[in-house]
Amino acid sequence: MKAPFSQYLEGIVPKLRKLVDILSQSFDYVSILSTDSVGFQIHISQRSKSVSGTNMTTERGSVVRVCRGGQYSEYAFSLLPDSMEEFAGQIQHQLEAQFAILKLTGTRAYDTPVLPDEPLELFVEKETGRLPEQEDMKALVERFLKLSQRGVSIVPRALDCLVNASSTHISKLFLTKNRFLRQSYVYTEGACAAFGPNDAGEIKFANEGISGCGGPELLEGLNAALEKLPKRMEEMLSAEKIVPGEYEIITDPGISGLIAHEAFGHGVEMDMFVKKRALGADYIGKRVGSELCTMHEGALCANSVTAYAFDDEGTLAGDVTEIDHGILKTGICDALAALRLGIAPTGNGKRQNFAHKVYTRMTNTVFDSGSSTLEEMIASVKHGYLLSGTQSGMEDPKHWGIQCIISRGYEIKDGALTGKVVSPVIMTGYVPDLLGGICMASTDREVHGNGACGKGYKEFVKVADGGPYLKTKARLG
Amino acid sequence: MLKHIEAQIKALGCGVWELREESTRAWEFYFIRHALDQNRVSELNTIFVTLYRPLEDGMLGSASGEIFPTASEAEIQKALSDIYFQASLVKNPSYRLNDKPLVSPALQEVDSAAIAKDFISTMSQLRETETEDVNSYEIFIREITRHYRNSNGVDYTVRYPSSMIEVVVNARKGEHEIELYRNFQSGTCDGEKLRRDIEKALQYGKDRLVTEPTPMLNQFDVLFSTGDARSIYRYFAAKTMVDLIFQKVSDWTPGKPVAESVQGDRITLQAVSTLKNSSASYPFDEEGAVIRDRTLIRDGVVEALWGHRRFSQYLGLEDCSMVKNFVVKGGAHSEAELRQGDYLEVVEFSDFQVDPISGDIAGEIRLGYLHQNGQVRVVSSGSVSGQMAAAIPTMEFSSETEQYDTAVIPRVTKLKNLNVTGQE
Repeated sequence: MKAPFSQYLEGIVPKLRKLVDILSQSFDYVSILSTDSVGFQIHISQRSKSVSGTNMTTERGSVVRVCRGGQYSEYAFSLLPDSMEEFAGQIQHQLEAQFAILKLTGTRAYDTPVLPDEPLELFVEKETGRLPEQEDMKALVERFLKLSQRGVSIVPRALDCLVNASSTHISKLFLTKNRFLRQSYVYTEGACAAFGPNDAGEIKFANEGISGCGGPELLEGLNAALEKLPKRMEEMLSAEKIVPGEYEIITDPGISGLIAHEAFGHGVEMDMFVKKRALGADYIGKRVGSELCTMHEGALCANSVTAYAFDDEGTLAGDVTEIDHGILKTGICDALAALRLGIAPTGNGKRQNFAHKVYTRMTNTVFDSGSSTLEEMIASVKHGYLLSGTQSGMEDPKHWGIQCIISRGYEIKDGALTGKVVSPVIMTGYVPDLLGGICMASTDREVHGNGACGKGYKEFVKVADGGPYLKTKARLG
Repeated sequence: MLKHIEAQIKALGCGVWELREESTRAWEFYFIRHALDQNRVSELNTIFVTLYRPLEDGMLGSASGEIFPTASEAEIQKALSDIYFQASLVKNPSYRLNDKPLVSPALQEVDSAAIAKDFISTMSQLRETETEDVNSYEIFIREITRHYRNSNGVDYTVRYPSSMIEVVVNARKGEHEIELYRNFQSGTCDGEKLRRDIEKALQYGKDRLVTEPTPMLNQFDVLFSTGDARSIYRYFAAKTMVDLIFQKVSDWTPGKPVAESVQGDRITLQAVSTLKNSSASYPFDEEGAVIRDRTLIRDGVVEALWGHRRFSQYLGLEDCSMVKNFVVKGGAHSEAELRQGDYLEVVEFSDFQVDPISGDIAGEIRLGYLHQNGQVRVVSSGSVSGQMAAAIPTMEFSSETEQYDTAVIPRVTKLKNLNVTGQE
């Protein structure tokens, strides 16, 4: 079925058109993004249960962007008054109050050209199996209860097993004098997590997630995810501390994605180029990885949790080849940063929600596949680790330092897994060394979209990343 | 709107409920160098509803959701009806909502324009040089008004300011340029503190230009002297939270020491309702409870707990609340005394983390000062890792304290024998 576009948004189009017309009399550029996204969030464990109609992407509201004299301003609102004439006056009054402070402090504006407003009309309703707002919540809660009970019964040492899920039916409308874009789609994610103490009394976790562009039907995948937990927990309970050092590593698709995201995801967000905060700006056309290293970024790259048709500035979704056989080709860019850099936007202007500013943000960041099998890759390792289980990552676009905190490392010696597991693993290094060391890539590829990504320590948005198994070298601790 | 929603809830036959309306007026300014990138205003209104229904066997169902302020009458009725139905699916042991009447304080005036002027003026007057300067910054000023009502007659309104400034500074030497990231949160703008903290960051930036690789130190004492140390103390706060204790993620209980055979400082951790210029200073929590000042851990022994109403009642505690502000009492030794001998002081991590559940400590070193054999070397790269359970018995912290927004913590904290990887 198609994910239907919001009736609420359809209903307010005449008002919004009027607001654009009125504000256009005072500003060089006016756009409005309006959102109406509904969904649910469920957490079920043996000791605690909750259901909510709110999750990180449910929202309803609008944001007006205006430009006058090279100065861009925004006004976000959740209430829509009856009179657009009065409302336009209110918006201008609020912005004028800020301009007064800027004048008082002698602040000058970063002069930016006026955004182009070429005519475009788009209406996209993406396919979904089911809709979150129509989901049989009774059946879902009962199924999750059973999953949680089974988790506790099959996972060694489990004190409890949490099954959680969220699903959102997103509708967005973008409007200017010449552009009228509407889209709706559904994304869903879920996870099973069990925890219990090891012999030292330290709490250990085992978790598995699923995600994708689609409705709550995707949550069927949690059954298979749960069955992986007993082995995960056994590994975590028996895990040893790693002996720090530089090792040959094989990253599973999740960790390959984490590297893609941290290394040349954040590293080539081109709003950072405008601020001269990214080393990548000096490396366009230069080698940053091995011949086996090709990386794509864009909402069109995978049918994931962030597979939209247009971004939050009304730019159509793209598929950018960031790294082509080791050569850095380009980055990703929001519309304002693109204007300032004199390039075309790539469809990566995203907001945490309607009330937040647009930044250049990632969508799907993915390494291309190679020609090796995982077995061949393991057989080629003298002493190293197969790394799996993303905990967190952090980049340093100015220096290309990278930090990844990883759940598990499976020891490989003389071409075979030894059965020894280490945990946790802190992988650190210099991005060109890490990517330059890629000497094997597997034929398969996965894209994962659980969790969220921040810019600095805020502005959390849905992203997805992935790739094949990759073999390289890194410092582990 | 709240009264209208309340009437709709009663019409559903629901007798136990909570409503929370949050109105946020935000002023934001984004700068590239000192030129204005964008200015933004947000005027937002959100209404959160939680509906409860008694179920068989003494269980209590509950579900929650948001009512959009632009919702039509039909949408409101459907949303409430859905939430009430979902409440029948979620079976938790019964508990009672707060029922003690509260008297709202006089609503605090928040002058966003004055706060904005203070932030912008402070930033424009920083002492920058040709080689150390500000790259970019983002100013967020929020006036938050929260109105809470529940079916037991608890009804209060509070208003408070909550500000944040994110600053990126650069330092350069020839072609080599580095950046440091800072994120300061507060109630309003404390210009003097902000200036001091950013100028300190500029100094760190200068040092970052002359680093050498961190050597492989293996087991080494690590000194934390920045806001990163909050992660260490958040671990203690998390372990005393009823939510984690009930769910068996924490086994800390009143009367139990946080560690055996403590040879270092014994921690005293207090929860407080207000802290001067904290971004979250208010007398009542989001469930209608009075936030009382209390000592959670005294001299290394758990004394009291905090957390959500539901889990506190499951543990037989009536007087708990959610808490945002914490104070850690200073230790036995001065900062100067803790700076004796060999240690690695890390002032910049990529992302320092102490897992509140496992206690795992991890962070990549971006800037550190290695004090060894009477010499100081400026280092970067490598990582610090360890485990809180192992670190607590020998942990030491200074008698002097420092406030970082919602937390007052010792100015320096020393964790002994952490794993420090580096260049071999």
